[in-house]
Parts: sequence; structure tokens; C-alpha cells
Amino acid sequence: MEILKTQNISKIYGSQKSSKQYMALKSISFTVNEGEFIGVMGASGSGKTSLLNILGSIDKATTGRLFIAGKDISSLNQKQLARHRMENIGFIFQDYNLLETMTIRENIILPLALSGYQAEVMEEKVNTIANDLGIISVLDKYSYEVSGGEQQRAAACRALISNPKIILADEPTGNLDSKSGKDLLELLTFINTEHKATIIMVTHDAFAASYCKRILFIRDGEIYNQLHAGESKKEFFNSIIDVMSVLGGEEK
Amino acid sequence: MNLFILAWRNIKRNFDKYKMYFFSLSFSVFTTYSFLALMHNEYVKMAFTYDDRYQSLLTGFGIVIMVFVMFFLLSSNSSFIKARKKEISTYSLLGMTNAKIGQLLFTETMIVGLAALVIGICIGVFFSKLIAMILLDISLAAFTGELAFTIAPRSIYITAILFIAVFGIMGLSGLRVISKFELVDLFKAEKVAEGRSKGSLIVLLISLVLVGTGYYLASSPEPAVVVPASIPVLVLVILGTYLFFWEGLAVILNIIKKRKGRYYRAANLISISAFSHRMRTIGAVMATIAVLSAVATTGIATGYTLYSNTEKNTYEVIGYDMYFYGGQEELLGDIEKAFDTHNTRIIQEFTTQRYTCKPQMDDSIVTGAYRISSQTDYFRVYSQSVYNKLVTISRTNNKPVDIKSGQALYIYPFMTDDIAQEINGQELAFSDRKITVTSILRANFVSFGAIHTIVINDNDFNALIKRGDIMDGDNGGTPYDAVTVFTYENPLRSAELNHDLSLILSGKTGNFRTAYSNFDESLQVFGLICFIGFFMSAVFILMTASLLYFKQVMAAEEERHQYRMLRKIGMDDLLERRVISSRLLPVFFIPLAVGIIHSIFAMKAADTIVFSNMIPVGNSYLTVLACSSVMYGLYALVYGVFYFITREQYSRIVK
Repeated sequence: MEILKTQNISKIYGSQKSSKQYMALKSISFTVNEGEFIGVMGASGSGKTSLLNILGSIDKATTGRLFIAGKDISSLNQKQLARHRMENIGFIFQDYNLLETMTIRENIILPLALSGYQAEVMEEKVNTIANDLGIISVLDKYSYEVSGGEQQRAAACRALISNPKIILADEPTGNLDSKSGKDLLELLTFINTEHKATIIMVTHDAFAASYCKRILFIRDGEIYNQLHAGESKKEFFNSIIDVMSVLGGEEK
Repeated sequence: MNLFILAWRNIKRNFDKYKMYFFSLSFSVFTTYSFLALMHNEYVKMAFTYDDRYQSLLTGFGIVIMVFVMFFLLSSNSSFIKARKKEISTYSLLGMTNAKIGQLLFTETMIVGLAALVIGICIGVFFSKLIAMILLDISLAAFTGELAFTIAPRSIYITAILFIAVFGIMGLSGLRVISKFELVDLFKAEKVAEGRSKGSLIVLLISLVLVGTGYYLASSPEPAVVVPASIPVLVLVILGTYLFFWEGLAVILNIIKKRKGRYYRAANLISISAFSHRMRTIGAVMATIAVLSAVATTGIATGYTLYSNTEKNTYEVIGYDMYFYGGQEELLGDIEKAFDTHNTRIIQEFTTQRYTCKPQMDDSIVTGAYRISSQTDYFRVYSQSVYNKLVTISRTNNKPVDIKSGQALYIYPFMTDDIAQEINGQELAFSDRKITVTSILRANFVSFGAIHTIVINDNDFNALIKRGDIMDGDNGGTPYDAVTVFTYENPLRSAELNHDLSLILSGKTGNFRTAYSNFDESLQVFGLICFIGFFMSAVFILMTASLLYFKQVMAAEEERHQYRMLRKIGMDDLLERRVISSRLLPVFFIPLAVGIIHSIFAMKAADTIVFSNMIPVGNSYLTVLACSSVMYGLYALVYGVFYFITREQYSRIVK
């Protein structure tokens, strides 16, 4: 089932009148089906983060339309957008974005608190999901008291707890060592398969991308290529490297 | 690019942050200059008769203000520097030495400081006449002199020297803050807890016990307890307040956090956790502000209570606009002429004999200074009709009385409940009848030189005069002076009439008092205390409130990323406003509330020591509280305004 669809999304930075306009995204169209694990790859400045921000409705597209679960997101007002983000989208950021003023537990329940759940329900959900992701022992610590991997897991918990339709991950392994990075990728795969969550992950790391089922390559604000995962992860990884080298080669 | 230009650019770029800083610097300069100018103002000096006494009162107050200004400036300076950590660390990263950065900040401080100095003094000069006018107006009953516009070069000079020194110290303290910075700390500064504290239940209890004991001592009804306890009370309450904010508040927050149903609501969750995150640093500031607010609200409330009761108190003491006894024949003509000359109408004039009596009675002794015995004491005595006549003329709130035969009303100026209880029912034995004291009044307006006064039924009075029990002269037969009381128009504004009357009366009569003279003297003392109270409170309010503003705006810079994150996961504008409100409200509200509660007890102590003797109503504390609450309201209003300014600025920063 189709969960997300973009129609000719463009993003222009800089004011309309000034000559210093910069087109970050040029008429991007693609669809995502429920339960997919999609990677978005591209060099720095290719527009992949702009795309993610628009998908997460943190930013508005200059032109084009975005449908999530069949609903036209571009027509929502500020308040509805906030509600939409709360209910339908979970974010995982590169720098975790946990609030240092709160314990891990409080950070995880934040999206539920924002939508006004009962305390008991929140407690139950946080315990279940933290147990699933293996951070139940650090729930009452503060973010600066736990490791980077645990912080990222906590961020993943926070993204998952409201059962969002889509999880957006922005370079989630960027700040982790290779072991923690691998753990997190396996975690995402687990979430994808067990929780049936749709994941869109922005990355520039071919290894991270090789965990995805499909990869969109973006260059200069346009979709340049698509790759589907095959039987072998190794083969998939190699073909990613191939596309990347072409992308990188053409940049010079 | 030299340092000066860099500093200048920084100021221009950071103008938003500098705005409030600049305002409070200018305000400090303005305060100091105004104060010095007042102290050196010839008119002000001339206007106060007892020059030295007031000068030292003003000087003492000036020192308090200066100490506070120093505290305020240094504190806001250091949080200002902390807010610019990122900028400073960037300089440091680019290879600037700490000494150079220090020099840069020093230059910035000096540029801003000098500008504030010039502007503060200009505003001070501009308003100096107004301030002197206000002081004279509330301190003198009728100030008629012309107040010229003056510039006080000496005050400018002293202010300038003083503040250049202060700014120098501020610059140096900035240097110290920077030299303590570690580059790595500068970058991770935001991530580390600023002083989360679990708090300690024991300390919370200790703090409550300390404050409670202080309150208990302060609210004792015995002046003999309150006066010696005043210093211990101060120590107890101040210590308790600091302990409460350092350790106790954290415990309360933790208790709130345990109530998940409430705590897990979005706005509470975000604001309470942010608040407890900063507990340590904000705790000390909040404690200081609570103590200062207590001092300021008490000062302002005392001043206002004294001031608003001065007129009433004058009439409690004097009773009429003027009275004198002795020499009526020679003086009355001159007096009436004086009223004519000043075009003032006499509303009422009444002359009556002063009678005394010495009935047999049991000695009455009450702990304290009160004793009455028929061996040594006598009563001033009035018939009911004369007394009622005096009551209607007098400007007090007393009501006419109806006294039955055989009964008496006993009047004593320093009546307490104990005395009333002792004397009520006392039998006064005259040669042919007994009269019982059946009612009690605390008043001074019919004493005319006597200590104890009774009012009896007209028939009793006439019979006793016939029998010689009531006398209108001493044992040698010399008659007592009659007393004449007056009320007239505009009694408290007629300085010249009062002057002339005093000239006519002094030396030629047994005694005379005018309401004007009493009022004028009271005003000189109370008006000055009131003015100092107002001035000090204004300074304290504005400075404590702007200190809170600083701390919160600086915190906003650090909390910005949180709000960005929260918006990403779905916080809408409405919720954001609620979060910001509940994040900032306690910071302003708690110290204000604690300060006012302290002040309520301080006013209770002040009531026991001072006001209960001054305000002639049964429960003078209620009157005191009524007057005080006007000032508490004003105080809260100013804090409210600052809260809204802070909230606006905070919202703008985190947007």
C-alpha cells in the first residue's frame, strides 16, 4: 500500500526576487509503500536533507505536493502540521536531539505527552519499547550519562513510541562508532520488519545504505538513480559503491 | 582591525542583547546621581531643620543602594559574558589569547559603560528637580519655596569616578571569568547539567523550621520579645530562605515529578524538567531576590503605612486643629485677628474648664509601667455633655457617649487590653456616692495635661461639684487654666497662619499645640522614611526584575535548540506559548511570593513595635496589612510587567 507520494517537489532557497536563488530540489516525484526501508543517498549539498525536511513537514516545498497516507500535506496549516508531525512522523536525528534537561524516559514519552496521553499508558508503552530496544536499564538516567549508542536507541524509541506511519532518520549513524552504527542499523531493520514501520533514511555511508531495501540517489536536486536490494547484501553494497563513484566522479 | 573597532562592531551586532544591559547600567547611574544630587541639594538641606540627622539617614541609605548596584552589575555582567560563550570560544579557537579576549571584553564594557554613564547622568540632571520636588512634597507639610533647576557638578564628578571604578571592576571580573574558561568546556557548556540537584529533604525541613521559628518570633505580641529578637529573626529567615532555594525547592520539584499524572502533561514535563535542570544557578539568584524583595516590600510598606497614617495620628495626638490653656482674656482677640488676616474661617471654637477629682480607689497595677493609686494620681473629669461637645468638635473618630448615673467612662491614651481588664469595674468612692468604671476608651484628645480621665453623668457631675469632690483649682485655691479648642479651615496647609499663631501663643499661655506643627514634624520623619522606602524599593524592584530578565534571556540562548527539536516532533505554537509561560512564571513568581510572605511577618513585627502605638484601632495589624497590600500589589504589578517583557523576548529568541 502506498504510504507516501511526492509530486514534482521543488525547493528554492533565497527570496523570489533576488538573483541569489538556489534550487535545492528540482521536481522530485517518487512513491513509498508501507513497510519499505528506503535509503536516500547523495553527496553533500545534493539536496537530500532538504528532501527529508520536506517529507517530515519541518520545511515547506516551494512547489509540488506531498501525500502521506493519501492526505495532501501541503494544504495543512501550521497547527495541523504540528499535529500531523506528532501523529504520523517519527524523527531520528544525527545528533540524537535528546533534551539534556530530561531523563531518557521523559525524552521517550515526549511525543505522547505532546498528544496528551494518560500517564499510565505512557509508562506502559515506554517500558515495552525500551525493553525491545534494550535500554530499559538506563531509562532514569540523563542523556549525558549514557553512551552515544544508548542515546541513539533512545532517540529511536522516541521516534517509534507514537506508532508513526513513517520514520525519518537523518544520518543516524553519523555520530556512532562502527559497532554502535551496525547495532543501530540492525535495530532499524528490526523495527522495519517487526514493527512494520516504514523508514526513510538519509545517509552518505554506503555500508549503512546497504541495510535498506531500496535506495534513491540524489544529485543536484534530482533523482539520479534507484537501486533495489537483491539477495546478497555484499552485492548490493558493491553496486552502491559503483553508483557512488559515478556520482562522486562527475562532481569533479 | 584593531581592538576598539572590533569591540564597537560587537556591540552593534549584539545590540539586542546589549539593550537591556545598557538600560540597567544607565538606570544604576541615574539612581546614584539622583541620590548624590539630593544629598548635596542646598534647597533640600535647607528645608530639613535637623540637617545632620537626615543627612546621615540619607547617607546610610546611599551606601545600601551602592552595595546593591555593585552586586547587580557584577552579576548581570557575568551572566552576560556566559551568554556569549560561543562567541568567545570562537575567538579562542581562532587563536586569540585569553588576555586579548579579556581586553576586547574590557573595551566593550568600557564603551557601553561610558555611554551609559553619560546618558544616566543626563537623565539624572533632567529629573533631579522633579525628584527633589517629590522628596520635599511628601516630607514637608507645606513646601512653598521655589526649587531652582540645578546641576550638581560635584555629584556628576563623584558619580563618574564611582562608575568608572565599577566598570573597571566589571571588566576585570570578566577577565577572571574568561581565564577560568576551558576551551573544551566552552563548546560542551550547553550539554552539561548546570546544577541539577536532588535536594535534601532534611535541608528542606531545616529551612522550613528556621523560617518558621523566625516567623514565630516576629509575630509575638510582646514588644519585649520582638525587639531583641530582630537580629536573630533576620538571620533565621535569610538562612532559611537560602537553604530553601538551594536544596529545598529541588525536593518539592521531585515530589511534583512523582505525580506522573500531572507531571507527564507536555507543558509541565518540559518546563519543570528545564527548571530543575537549572536549579542550582537560579536557586541562588532566586533566594537573593526573595530576600531583597522582602526588604524592599517591607521598606515600602512601612513608609507607606507611616505616611498614610500621619494625618490620622496627628489628630489622635492633638485632637483638634489647635488648643491652648491659660490666658484666654489677653489672647483670644489676637488669635481671632490672626485668623482674619489669613482669611481663614474658624469652624468651631469652644472653651471649657479643666476639672479634676481624687476619689478613693484600690490601687491598680498592671505589669509594665501602668499603675494608678488614689494617693498619687488624680483624674481629669468631664460631665457627659461637655465631653460630647468636645467629641463633636474634635477631628478624631470617637463617638458621643451616654453615661448613666453611677457609671463612668475611663479614658487612657496608652490603653492595652490588660489595663482595660484591670480597670473595668473599678469603684471610685466619692464622699457621698460610688461610681463604677463601666466603659473604657483609648484616646488622648481630652487629657489636656492629665494622664487619667473619666467622664460621668451630668447629675453626678453637678452634685459632686457642689460637694467639692470635683475641683477647678489646686489645693491652694488657684483656679486651673481653662482650655480653648479650635477647628478651622485648611489646618494642615496653612503654614503662615500656624507661624503667626505660634508667635501669639508661645510663652503667654500654659500650653498650646497645633495640628499643623505636629503634622509637619511627623511628616519630616515619616516622609523621609517613606521617600527612602519608595526610592529603595523602586531600585530593588527594577534591578531584581531585570536581573531575572537577564538570567532568563541568557538561558533562552542555551535552550533554543530544545525548542527547535520540540517543534520538530510536533509542538504547536499554542503549546509552545504554554511551555514558555510555565517555564518562566515560577522564576518570577516564587521569589516574589516568598518575599511578600516574609514581608507580611516583618510588618507584623513592625506593627508590634511601632504601629500598635500609633494607629488607634483595636487591630492595628489589619490597617497595616491593608496599607501594605497596596504596595505589594504595586510590586507584583512591576514584576508582572517584567515577566511579560521577558516572555516576549524569550519567545523571540527560541523561535
